[in-house]
Amino acid sequence: MTAEATIQSVRIAETPPAPRLARRRRRPIAPYALIVPSVVVLALAMGYPVVWQIITSTQQFGLAQQFGQAAPFVGLQNYATLASDPYMWTVILRSILFCFAAAAATMIVGTLLALLMNVVSAWVRVTLQIALLLAWAMPVVAAMTVWNWLFNLRSGVVNWLLSAIGLPYQGHNWLINPVSFYGVALVIVVWMSVPFVAFAIYAGLTQVSEEVLEAAQIDGASPRQRFFGIVVPIIRPVISIVLLLQVIWDLRVFTQIKLLQDVGSIKSETNLLGTYIYQLGTGSSNFGMASAVSIFVLVLTIAISAFYVRSMLKEDEA
Amino acid sequence: MRKRRVRAKTVIFSIIGLIVAIIWVFPVYWMINSSLLPNVVLQDSTPTFVPFGGSFANFTAVFAGGTFLPALGMSVAIAAVVVVLCLLFAFLAALAISRFRFRGRSGFVLAVLLIQMLPAEGLFIAQYKLMASVNLLNSVIGISILYIAAVVPFTIWMLRGFVAGIPIELEEAAMVDGLSRTQAFLRITFPLLAPGLVASGVYAFLQVWNEFTIALVVLPDNASATLPLWLRGFIEASASKATDWGQVMAASTLVALPVIFFFLFVQGRMTSGLVSGAVKG
Amino acid sequence: MKRKIWAATAFAVAGALALAACSSGGSTAGTASTGPSTNGKGKTITLWLVGADTPQPLRTYLQTEFTKETKGTLKIEQQDWSDIVTKLTTSLPDANNTPDVTEMGNTQSPTFTNVGAFLDISDQYKALGGTNLLQSFVDAGKVNGKNYTLPYYFGSRYVFYRKDIWAKAGITTPPTTLDQFNSDVATVNSKNPNNIKNFSGFYLGGQDWRDGISWIFANGGNIAKESGGKWAASLEDPATLKGLAQLQTIYKTADNAPGDAQDSNQYIYINNNDSIAGATTKDKATPVSLSAATIMAPGWAHWSIGDKGKDAKTGAVTRTWNPNTFGTFALPGNDSNPAPVFAGGSNIGISAKSKNPGLAKTLLKIIFGKTYQEMLGKNGLGPANSQYTSSLGSDQFASALIASSSNSKLTPAAPGWASVEASGVMEEFFSKIKDAPDLTALAQQYDAKITPMLNAK
Repeated sequence: MTAEATIQSVRIAETPPAPRLARRRRRPIAPYALIVPSVVVLALAMGYPVVWQIITSTQQFGLAQQFGQAAPFVGLQNYATLASDPYMWTVILRSILFCFAAAAATMIVGTLLALLMNVVSAWVRVTLQIALLLAWAMPVVAAMTVWNWLFNLRSGVVNWLLSAIGLPYQGHNWLINPVSFYGVALVIVVWMSVPFVAFAIYAGLTQVSEEVLEAAQIDGASPRQRFFGIVVPIIRPVISIVLLLQVIWDLRVFTQIKLLQDVGSIKSETNLLGTYIYQLGTGSSNFGMASAVSIFVLVLTIAISAFYVRSMLKEDEA
Repeated sequence: MRKRRVRAKTVIFSIIGLIVAIIWVFPVYWMINSSLLPNVVLQDSTPTFVPFGGSFANFTAVFAGGTFLPALGMSVAIAAVVVVLCLLFAFLAALAISRFRFRGRSGFVLAVLLIQMLPAEGLFIAQYKLMASVNLLNSVIGISILYIAAVVPFTIWMLRGFVAGIPIELEEAAMVDGLSRTQAFLRITFPLLAPGLVASGVYAFLQVWNEFTIALVVLPDNASATLPLWLRGFIEASASKATDWGQVMAASTLVALPVIFFFLFVQGRMTSGLVSGAVKG
Repeated sequence: MKRKIWAATAFAVAGALALAACSSGGSTAGTASTGPSTNGKGKTITLWLVGADTPQPLRTYLQTEFTKETKGTLKIEQQDWSDIVTKLTTSLPDANNTPDVTEMGNTQSPTFTNVGAFLDISDQYKALGGTNLLQSFVDAGKVNGKNYTLPYYFGSRYVFYRKDIWAKAGITTPPTTLDQFNSDVATVNSKNPNNIKNFSGFYLGGQDWRDGISWIFANGGNIAKESGGKWAASLEDPATLKGLAQLQTIYKTADNAPGDAQDSNQYIYINNNDSIAGATTKDKATPVSLSAATIMAPGWAHWSIGDKGKDAKTGAVTRTWNPNTFGTFALPGNDSNPAPVFAGGSNIGISAKSKNPGLAKTLLKIIFGKTYQEMLGKNGLGPANSQYTSSLGSDQFASALIASSSNSKLTPAAPGWASVEASGVMEEFFSKIKDAPDLTALAQQYDAKITPMLNAK
């Protein structure tokens, strides 16, 4: 971040990694004390809702039950209904594709911007950071309204620009075709999530010592080798968690799709997991189904990311 | 001492950086632009790129409602509690998992990763019941617990990488030089964490600042509304007329602005104050 | 070190608690009353109003009047239409935090009434207006012959049209039958007197089923029917199909709205706008893009329709209604009555968990009293009690509102109606009408989709 910080990190980089702290085994209470606050707050906030959700997912629980009627136990029926719905699987497939496209695009653009921040002068970096932060800070509803305006078929800037350079885009409807609908959604989702990725990875990059890079350069390492040999290992923990979060978020992207659907497009052609499960559960006040869907999505997320999470854990153990 | 070639590169990168900044900020510009224009103009079929003849009438109208400042106060209070406690809790936990081996450690690490996968669909009933049962509806502490739980896993993982990168010897060397453990920590370790704390802090702040669903459920009274709830109320302020999007954009601009102040403040504190303190130590 | 960390943690938690203590507001209701007491001394009841339709002077009136009658305090909490279902779902069953009286959308009333969310107010029904109350709304709040919610106010949809463009197309009097309306808008569309690109004689969004449904109703059709406690979608009924065929003709011959346009902001298409994006010199002679000579919209749209001008005082750009350019009428039916339209508006009821039912009933008395009903009317909101409809005034908006709502309908009171709306299946069905080669097959296909949803619990 500053010259001083860089010098500090050089000192770190030159120090051999600390031996794992065997001597601390004598005081085994310390680590528990350290994680107590986090564990307590997680247990307080998540404990009851998660248990409630698991129980409710095995019940027929609608508005009547919320208003005091007994909730009949139905076992795995909610899950069976979900799994036997062929449209559900279409939506899952679509969502996985969209998720991978959006997460990949976000990670690539975010990483490139973080690297860019690292090589520009301070004022350009702060300008870029503030621009990204503004985009990140923009209330979602305002952001979606503006994006809807930009792609509006009648008064949108996008059509205006395309028509101005002579393309036949006057009055072009971007949302009615599912493919271009997802294109628009992708642009918006990437625009919204890149700032977070760029900030996090840039923070990771500040741990990379410039001197070590220069030394490697003198030793004849190519920029590619320097990037993958020195930079990537240092920022890997950050990249791994950020990528995991992107996958989790993009798999169940809801608000952006919902607000786009409110403007145009045929819902059943543009539903992703987030909007479809909302419609099945909460939108119909069917909370038993909504809970089953939540657990189902949890399992799906774990299935998609299991391999990745395992490698994160291994890396953590190493 | 950089070579000229490097400087030429920096110039090119700077230009690219500025272009990217412009692209990213364009929707934000559009929000601010619209906030200065009357609603009627916003419905025109030709976009108005520069708000000539615009006015602050929309902003005046937003403030005239008198509900902005209380909502701002509520949001600031919640964000402050969440950011401070989340960073503290996460730092402690990060210390535990990067500096200690203990029974249950891998279980804790796995839990931290998995908790982020819990979907929120249909959770709102349980969250409401939870808060109602302990009488924490409409309170800063109630919603803060939910928020901290939502952001602390990421923060733990983020800080874990930073803590792991700092050798304990650095601190111990400082202690040999006569600093207390606290001093050593504050002057040596903490500054090295600064970039991670800034990134996690901004993340936690923004998650809280723009959160809507949980706030809607556990802050049911108008008097305890946060900014996103206030903004929603603003959009629907007059269903008997068309939504005045100029005013909504003015309101949104007011919601987004404090984030910039927060960032500049944190950034300034972290880079100047703490890091230079480290060097002195 | 350990101790210090603990100290730091404890300090932080203490700080947080202190902060919370400062800002946690009093959300608890007053102590439980033993009977339906109407003495409100020292007590507060809460009224939820949704959206900002109820103007401030009316709210103030309710508060002063309530204090006058009961010596208690009335707290009014503002809610939003998009979240009201969520908030009713969480708060109504919670005796400590429930609103005592709440407004809700008329289509939401059956859902909550059926699960016992509201207090039986049949004993008050007569005193509050009885048969003078708008009956379709009363029915939306009735279960097994008992009244749980009553109408609060009504709104309606009617037709807005461009007198100037219709006249140029040779039509100077508004249509008096639906058939005439159908052919008039087709004529205006084909003549397109101002030679506007993408012009719509009648702008009806492809997914705008809330307006399009009137053609089904007007021909005696319906979305769904109940028999023996079972609901069945009735899109393939001959009467419904007749309406669908008329709609198809309109979509094909009178309408150039996008196939995915919904029921929102139609009014911007009937206004004159400025130049077209990317227009060629030739286009600039007709400086209006995608525009319409006729739209159907809720009554409040008239605030956004008019000539563009500048406010003399503030210099702000405004729209001012011009009676020479714009006109309104209720969509005509073929039986000399107005065609049935979807009713807008809301119901009001007392929470079954209210701790102050006596005070809540007093509040209803004030709301259904002459003074308040007339205040609603003067503010353009259709009063629940038909005795006071004249308070709406006699301008064309009031007449169109009264005429169109005289024959209004509500959505089917089927248990699964919420799922139908959430799924967007009605929007989807309507968007397919225009290009359907076989309407009967299309209707059958969607009946098969909708019927199971209607009966889902």
